[in-house]
Amino acid sequence: MTDVLSVDERGDDSLLVTSIESKSPKRLSWDRFKRDRFAIAGLGVVVFFLFIAIFAPLITKIIGISPNALDRDSLNDYGLPNGRFGGISGKHWLGVEPGTGRDILARLIYGARLSLFVGLVATLITTSVGMVLGLIAGYLRGRVDTFLSRLSDLVMTFPSLILTIALVRPGTQRLEAMGVPEGNPARLTYLMLVTLFFGWVGFFRIVRGQTLALREREFVEAARSSGAGPGHIIFRQIAPNLWGPIIALASMSLPAYVAYEAALSFLGVGIIAPTASWGIMLQDSVHFYRADPTYFFIPGATLFVLVMAFYLLSEGLRDALDPKNDRQQVA
Amino acid sequence: MKLRSYKFLGVAIAASLVIAACGSDGGSGSINKATKGKPGGTVYILTQGEQITHLDPQRNYTGSDLAFAASTMHRTLTSYKYAAGGEGSEIEADLATDTGTASEDAKTWSFTLRDGSTFEDGTAITCADVAYGVSRTFAQEVITDGPTYAISYLDIPEGGYSGPVELNAATTAEEQALFDSAVACEDKTITFRLKVPVADFNVAVTLLSFSPVPKASDTGEGYDTAPVSSGPYKIESYTPGDSLVLVRNENWDKDSDPIRNAYPDSIVYKFALEGAVIDERMIADNGDDQTAVSSDGILPENLLTIFDDPKFESRRQDGYDPYVTYTAFNVKQVSCLEIRQAVWLALDREALRTAAGGPYTGDFADGFIKPALAEDYAPGKLVEGLNVDGTPNTEAAIAKMAEAKTACPDIYELATGEGLKFDHGDTPTWAKLVAIWIESLKAAGIVLNSNPIEPSAYYPTIMDPETQGSMSRSGWGPDWANASTVIPELFCDCGGFNLSQNSADPAYAEFEAGVQAARAETNRGKQGKMWQELNQYVLDQVWAIPGSFTKAQDIWGSKLGNTYRWGPYGSFNFGDLFVNS
Repeated sequence: MTDVLSVDERGDDSLLVTSIESKSPKRLSWDRFKRDRFAIAGLGVVVFFLFIAIFAPLITKIIGISPNALDRDSLNDYGLPNGRFGGISGKHWLGVEPGTGRDILARLIYGARLSLFVGLVATLITTSVGMVLGLIAGYLRGRVDTFLSRLSDLVMTFPSLILTIALVRPGTQRLEAMGVPEGNPARLTYLMLVTLFFGWVGFFRIVRGQTLALREREFVEAARSSGAGPGHIIFRQIAPNLWGPIIALASMSLPAYVAYEAALSFLGVGIIAPTASWGIMLQDSVHFYRADPTYFFIPGATLFVLVMAFYLLSEGLRDALDPKNDRQQVA
Repeated sequence: MKLRSYKFLGVAIAASLVIAACGSDGGSGSINKATKGKPGGTVYILTQGEQITHLDPQRNYTGSDLAFAASTMHRTLTSYKYAAGGEGSEIEADLATDTGTASEDAKTWSFTLRDGSTFEDGTAITCADVAYGVSRTFAQEVITDGPTYAISYLDIPEGGYSGPVELNAATTAEEQALFDSAVACEDKTITFRLKVPVADFNVAVTLLSFSPVPKASDTGEGYDTAPVSSGPYKIESYTPGDSLVLVRNENWDKDSDPIRNAYPDSIVYKFALEGAVIDERMIADNGDDQTAVSSDGILPENLLTIFDDPKFESRRQDGYDPYVTYTAFNVKQVSCLEIRQAVWLALDREALRTAAGGPYTGDFADGFIKPALAEDYAPGKLVEGLNVDGTPNTEAAIAKMAEAKTACPDIYELATGEGLKFDHGDTPTWAKLVAIWIESLKAAGIVLNSNPIEPSAYYPTIMDPETQGSMSRSGWGPDWANASTVIPELFCDCGGFNLSQNSADPAYAEFEAGVQAARAETNRGKQGKMWQELNQYVLDQVWAIPGSFTKAQDIWGSKLGNTYRWGPYGSFNFGDLFVNS
């Protein structure tokens, strides 16, 4: 990054002055992020989706649509939408689902709710577990490290997708037997557990590596020689230096989990119908590429836009938070 | 249980088989007729199924599988004619020299075997082989899922015989003697002694469960994948999940088999294909697919593409099949007539029919017996207030629910609180249909929970009283042209596929007495009247909600001949297809 230099060249005094003022690393990162137009666009789209997901019931109510209401009148005798472009009309802005006449927009909105919920929860649990274990392994080293590292090797060798699919029915039944409500709550719990089992490894490895390097740094030595305990050193000295990579990694894994949920629902092992899910819509819509191309196009395009936005955002975050950029700035 | 294969249309997951269609059933308008073909070539059959459900003749009980195995590998005493339309439901002699001789009281039937018929190793088919095949049905521990008419009809005390010693080591000589006296062999003549009069027993023996099995080759469970052929083809290789390849059986003698034409040199069944891929390949009609048929029908979303385009005119057909779809109540759970009536009234049958393909789905059923069974069919009287056009009558349903609240508060509590559990196959089509069920019942205050079941585990799950939900979706076709293969099978514990768990219902005893009387009735006209009354009895009790008198649609490759619908089985006559280059 040559931001400061380019500012110099442009001779923009005001900016130069502000950049000379002492800025916190956070502030520097934010400034860099702001200048990445793609990242800002990604952020905008993500915030938009978060907004409609959070306010899904309100929004659908205002528009006057519902994800489950049937609309027989919008279909012809063969169950295909009346009118061109999959039945797009003033009443159904994105058309209706063939067969049932359910509103596609409403189902997408409720599907976004589910997708983002799954993505956020999955990211949150894998990040926290991976981070805590990585810090412990990296700081304590020795046997604990060996054990956790071998365990992570072991988990990585499992064919995760195949196991997830193969175990979905027995796994869900076991959870139901343990008292988790039948149906989607049990399915989601199962998916979260499996995600946690396979997902912590990535975070663990990065955090462990960083911790191994950081624990030898002078400020850690200083804290240790002033008598700080391992708890203080790990969580007060080392952890704050890890937020950059963690945020970047988390923002990349979130869209991956959104796509993962869609993929599992697509394969019939995710969300159970009739709950609205993007994966179920995708799965259904591919059958209609001939009979109702609009319907075929919409759910796929929506998923593409959201995942793309997340990646642009995470790319921007990674650049902005990269410690190497920090050093360049300092130099 | 002649189940309709789950893969068929993905809509009706189940159903039984066969049918008998006299007359009108079996193809509308332009009936594709059986013609003389020429030998040679390879016929391909494409399916979503992982394998043939059962190749063991005594266990085979799915319409299209029976048509496939009967026309290629397993001969029976009598067989349905290789013809389209009503003619296909007539029987003619196959292994026997004629269609059987009955005693005056129709309780003794005898058949004389033809000379020259052999198994694939060249050994002659004897009376003992036929008798042994029939005896296998009694070994219910091993021979699961097959028809049980041999057990219901043969004059053997209940529980007196549990299969030949080859399949059930516990069978004693005395027990075997009971069977041997019910199915006696004298030289080439096999005689069946029945405990009830069965005027159409010679039609019952078209079922493969009455086909011969060489005792020495019986491997029990293993026979399901490696049966010995008595027909014009034998298995070259069979890999479930991939393919089944049939090649000519050199020991089959055309002179001993007046029925089978055996045109192609080989028949290849391709398994585990995606439904959408099959349709796409059939539409494209390239290469080997020009001599291919889909045994799964056509997916609803592709019906308009195929039926609106004249270029498919010579490669498609649409007509009634033998099946009736229905939704059985688990009467033990939903032991409240008013709730069952309310569900029926509230259900948006019109939306369900539209979602499954509208006019291609079939007609709203008014009972469980299809009009094709002319002697047994009478228009059913449906619950009062039901809309003829299939739209829901929510007001009437709400009124029924109000009655239920006082009549059976417990069930009312369940239906409006925790909810009823609806069993259906875990297929994309059902993911939508179940939404229609849930939404339309919600309008009447009834809570329905979806219970999707993996297709291959569907029937075992719902047939187990422990795992069945409150309602189960199914489909059935008669085994031959008599409602004796429908009403008792579906609603009587004396039949084989009673999903309604109705035996504790106060109305059940009277029903079963009626079934036994109808079974024993020898006057066919009177018997038909009795089935009509019993059909109405079930409708009045709402032990099940009738769905559709279904239609089915087929598509085939451009170089195939004899693609007529074989009425009794509601599928292609796979063994009669020929390659037309």
